[in-house]
Formats: sequence, structure tokens, C-alpha cells
Amino acid sequence: MKERISALMDGELEGRAAEETFDLLRGEGDAAATWRIYHLVSDAMHGQRLLSAGFAERVVAELASEPALLAPGALPGRTPIERFALAAAASIAAVALVGWLAFAPQPPSPAPVAQASAPGPAVVVLPHEANDYLLAHQGFSPRVTLQGMAPYVRTVAERPDESDK
Amino acid sequence: MSAWRSAALLCVPLLSVAGAAQAQPADAAAWLRRIQDATHNLSYTGTFVYQHGDRSETSRITRLASADTERLEVLDGMPRELVRTRDTVRCYLPESRVVKVERRSADRNFPALLPGELATLARNYDISLGEVRRIGGFECQAVVLAPKDNLRYGYRLYADNASGMLVRAVTIDAAGNQIEQFTFTQLQIGRVTPDMVKPRHTTSGWRVEDADAAPARLAGWSLNAELPGFQKVVELTRRMGESKPVAQLVYSDGLAAVSVFIEPLAPRREPLRTGLASLGAIHIYTREVANHMVTVVGEAPAASVQRFANAVQYRRP
Repeated sequence: MKERISALMDGELEGRAAEETFDLLRGEGDAAATWRIYHLVSDAMHGQRLLSAGFAERVVAELASEPALLAPGALPGRTPIERFALAAAASIAAVALVGWLAFAPQPPSPAPVAQASAPGPAVVVLPHEANDYLLAHQGFSPRVTLQGMAPYVRTVAERPDESDK
Repeated sequence: MSAWRSAALLCVPLLSVAGAAQAQPADAAAWLRRIQDATHNLSYTGTFVYQHGDRSETSRITRLASADTERLEVLDGMPRELVRTRDTVRCYLPESRVVKVERRSADRNFPALLPGELATLARNYDISLGEVRRIGGFECQAVVLAPKDNLRYGYRLYADNASGMLVRAVTIDAAGNQIEQFTFTQLQIGRVTPDMVKPRHTTSGWRVEDADAAPARLAGWSLNAELPGFQKVVELTRRMGESKPVAQLVYSDGLAAVSVFIEPLAPRREPLRTGLASLGAIHIYTREVANHMVTVVGEAPAASVQRFANAVQYRRP
């Protein structure tokens, strides 16, 4: 029974099998309790928004007992780059140096110049006003509708002493 | 009927969609709409890493959907905060005591992925569903946007199966290299209070820089060749920084946007720095045209941004 309820939740049951499982659930009892517990687990896993007042309260209580922070070390199988990103997230001190230094002269990088087929243009330090341009630009990027304000992190502020280097 | 049972019965259609990828309709466009709806309709708070090259930066983003208000706080380096409401985007720079204000009258009615826009998108990208993958505890569906030419980047978007939220977005160049990526390392949906989206700073005594943007027709300025797939979406005049009047034209291919800024060259205090600079997937190219400075900012390959800049021309009207 548990397998079938689980399969139903995962969308793996179709037709007759699904209907029979629905019938089990309509009978309350163990099947219903299992169904409810599986939802708690699923909702806690996904931090999902809930549907009815009583249901929501129970799940919120469950969620409260779940740690929300995903510890970087607990995520297996990451590539070195991802590990770097997550480790950086865990340690603000470790990345405090990077920030707007991205606008300093770029270290040898294949990205921009190598892509230009013609002889590449001079790679320059962005002018002080670069942030104004970035801020002015971001609001019109369709990405904002997919991602909210996240792309605005590319409109950050340099410290004047850094930009003068 | 008990309360949970009504809830459970309501759950069934949701779960049969959200539970497993094989139950999803094989429609990548529908997934893009789902991501857009989740981004707009859900309240959430989370921490994400923006990574480009060997650099990364951590930020916190919080949205309160009922107030249509969103707050972004950059946690690394110099403190800065952005708050977007229905009407404005304010950028708070506490160290210089400056708040920059962008009015949203111009971009507010700029929904990117309505069906018509999706058609535009589909002309420039092959959109397909990719793998299902677990990211940060979320079971995610990949949506792949492969560019049909080398004028734009490709994207891999990973959306949470359960909520539709975009958990990771990766930008990829023609050679398959990753240019930049955004990844949530922690994300909580719901339970956002108004306090969580309020700006941290009181701005009395701060300098206010208002962009004061207004729609405009630019006399004499045009592009002598448009880039395939990019269409002009906005043409306006605005202020930049403290007082500079600047013209801005925005072009979009449905996902990537390119802005062309044109401003009169001030009597030179220092030589104009022309050339190319980059930040993640964004390139910025500056050149001089008819005693004006032309600056092109775009989430596009360097060559595309340069082509925009080189196409800008002035003819006396």
C-alpha cells in the first residue's frame, strides 16, 4: 500500500491503479495517514506552499523543526567550480575581496577577446559610471521576469580607491 | 469530509504534476511560463551565489508577492542593497550615502514571456527540456535554451519541480564554456513578512540620483544595421549618475537585452576610454561617434555588443 501511495505522489500511477489507490485514500484509516505523512515529508523537503489552513499549520510545524540552511559540505558530487561557489557562500570573509574587482583589468581569460573573430578591441577598465549603466540596463532585461532581482547583483558599487587603480 | 482530506484531494493534481518529471508535459515553453509565474507569484527568501570566472559573490534575495516588493542585499564586500517595488528600483549605497532611483514606468509593462514574446524567443533559441537533477535539495527540471546562431549565449535553467522557482541559471558560450551562473544555496518559500523587504537604510541626508526617464524619439541617431533577432523595445532619455542627460535604446531577442547609451562628450577632463570591458555575461563597449560617447551594455557575446556599437550612426536630421 505504501509503495502505491508513494508511486501515486510521484505521478507514476495511471488509470486503474491510480483509481484504486484513490479509493484506498478515501477510506481514511492507514492509507490516509500514510498519504498525510508522505505529504509532510514532501512539503518539508520542498519548502512548498500549502493549501488549507489546518494542513499548513501542521507542515509549518514540521518545517520549523527542519534546518533550512543547506550545508555546502553535505552536498555530494559537486564539480570543483560548484564546490568553490558553495564554499564561498559559506565564508563571506573568503570572498570579500572579489566583489567589484571584477571590473579591474581582467586576468588572461579566453572569454571576451578570444570570441571576437576580428582582431579584438582593447580591453579596458570600466569607467566609474559603469554601475549607472548596469543599473539602467538591468530593468529592461527579460531575465528579471524569470529570476527576479538576482541579475541586479551585476550592478554593484566599486570602492573609489579600487576603481582608481 | 475532514480538512486534511480536502487538502489531500486538492493535492492530487498538483503532485501528479510536481512529483515526477515523466509526468510533466514535454513542453519547455510551459516550463518557462511556470518559472515566470513562480518568480512573480511566490513570496520567498533565499541566499544565492553569483559566480563568473573564478569569482563569486553571495547575496540574499527576498520577495513579498502580496506587496510586489523585492529586496536584494549583496553580502560580500562593500555593502549595497536594492529594493524594487511596483513603481521604483532603489539602489542604496551606504558608504557614499547615495540612493539611485529608477522609475519603473518604462519597464513595468514589459512582460518578457507572454505568448507573443515566447514566439520571439523560439525564433532565436531552440528550447527543450533537459535532465532532472537535484540541486541544493531541490529536484530540478532543466530547461535548455540553445542559441540558433553565435550572436547570443545559451542558457541552462534549473527549476524546482515542486514550486517552479528557478534554482540555478547558467549562461554558456558557443564553445560550451560556462560564463556565469546564479545558484540558490538556500531557499525558503513563503513566510515572508513586510519587514523583510524594507530597506535597511534611512536616507535622510543622502544624495538622491533620480534617473528621471522619459520616452523619447532620438533625432538623427540610428543603427545602420540591426543585429538579427534583436528588436528595439524601448527608446528613452534619462539621467545618469548625478545629472548627465543620456539617451538609451534597448534591444531584446526575447531573453538577452542590449542597451545602447548615447551622451554628449563633456569638455574632456580625461581622455575617453574606448574599448571593451566585461562582467560575467555582460559586455560593455564604448566608442566615440560624432562627438558623443556611445556605450553598449549587453548580456551577449563581445562580438555582438561590438556590432551594436559599431552600427550606431548620426545623420543630421
